[in-house]
Amino acid sequence: MSLLKKLHDWLDVRIGTDELIRKELIGFLLPKNVNFWYSMGSILLFIFAMQVVTGILLMVYYVPHADKAFKSVTTIMNEVPFGWLIRISHAVGSHMMVLVLLVHMLSVLFMGSYKSPRELHWLSGFFLFGLVLVISLTGYLLPWSQLSFWATTIATDSVGIIPYFGDSLVEFLRGSKLVGAATLGRFFTLHVAVIPLAIVVFIGAHLFLVHRTGVSTPPFGLEDTKNRWLGERYAYEGHSGGIPFFPHYALQDLTSIAIYLAVFAGVVFFNPYIFFASTAFVPANPFQTPAHIKPEWYFLANYQTLKIFPSEILGLFVQGAAMTFLALLPFIDRGKERHPLKRPLFMVCSVGGILLYITLMIWGHYS
Amino acid sequence: MQGSRRKFLGLSLGILTAAAAGAVTYPVIKYLAPGKKADARHKVEIPEGEVPEGSAKFFEFEGRIAVLVRKKGGALIALSAVCTHLGCIVQWQKEKEQFLCPCHAGIFSADGAVLSGPPPKPLEKLVFTVASGRITVG
Repeated sequence: MSLLKKLHDWLDVRIGTDELIRKELIGFLLPKNVNFWYSMGSILLFIFAMQVVTGILLMVYYVPHADKAFKSVTTIMNEVPFGWLIRISHAVGSHMMVLVLLVHMLSVLFMGSYKSPRELHWLSGFFLFGLVLVISLTGYLLPWSQLSFWATTIATDSVGIIPYFGDSLVEFLRGSKLVGAATLGRFFTLHVAVIPLAIVVFIGAHLFLVHRTGVSTPPFGLEDTKNRWLGERYAYEGHSGGIPFFPHYALQDLTSIAIYLAVFAGVVFFNPYIFFASTAFVPANPFQTPAHIKPEWYFLANYQTLKIFPSEILGLFVQGAAMTFLALLPFIDRGKERHPLKRPLFMVCSVGGILLYITLMIWGHYS
Repeated sequence: MQGSRRKFLGLSLGILTAAAAGAVTYPVIKYLAPGKKADARHKVEIPEGEVPEGSAKFFEFEGRIAVLVRKKGGALIALSAVCTHLGCIVQWQKEKEQFLCPCHAGIFSADGAVLSGPPPKPLEKLVFTVASGRITVG
């Protein structure tokens, strides 16, 4: 009997690994018409794992002190062997995470997978979206460059427009009146400990929910694309006769991850500074605000919206309302139909919303 | 035929996976391994005036702590200040003209020889030259 077989038998007798594999992997069935878009979640999980690993490696040499942070990042980039690879991977990965997350959200939107009984999936996913944006914002400050410093100043300043306690909130976020060493300390803690833990918890909840309800059926290639759940009692969507997750869809997940890695490697090795502005290479100077400081591409639409409205509080309110609407979408859109082409109102609103978002992003970039 | 094709594909996949794993592991190990540059051979210069008779001067040399001693009589000696027992830094006892390791009470003479205690070997001697009022170690 080989060593591997002996190990397998030892584990099986104690924790029933065969039954686990049969039930949770091979026995977990997906709909026959499942498509590529369903592997976006796995790509996100992979990206998150990469961010954790590269982040931990960066922490070996990074110094979270206002006087030493920029120099430590320069040391990582120029002196530590393969430090440039770890740092660039982490920076590019953060942008890819937001991009793939938006693609994942869009595919769920268009396939109507947010509809009942999957409201909680959407809500937990929305929280994850918020956490990813906050972790990107906090991580942005850590290199302590001119871009980091002033982008954080602008981002934290925007909270100050809230009436009555806006100023106190800004000071609380920063740890002082202006962005400084105190801000770096708390942003570093948030970035490496608090938010990653929260993300892990929400990913766990999100995956549990997906597993508990079963994977949704894509509305394509079916005669009837209406949601058939009656809402009387819990019903697991089993997909009898469907595709086993392992090894079939696991292989699709691996393929999708490989495609992602190809795109990722292309950016890292051929155009690594695509996401870096020139001010990212200058150490922070609290006495000099550079011209044309702009947030990252995923905040440009928010940035431009604030500039459009004459009143800042109105701009913030409009954005808050839009985000709230999006978060509560499963409770607002209760229609049974799931096929996008059979939901004209949804299509108009969503395509219009996407075009508006892209327009604001481009406008924000050039304004 | 199908069996050998499957075996070939399986083997190719295994080789590619191993290559990918190596491509990931190698940079990570190089990244984490301590840089040789930081401890690279370099000379340390100390003015002679900083080492009066009967005193010892501690300094960093090639990533370790070293010591220059001027014995009574004027003789100069350069030694590693790392105790050969378990790596603690020895202290200079001026009155007794000897080194004492505070960890386990190992005692070394001014020349680095073991006088008593658990150290198994003498303190490592370092090469130095004296010219134009400057001591160059290394």
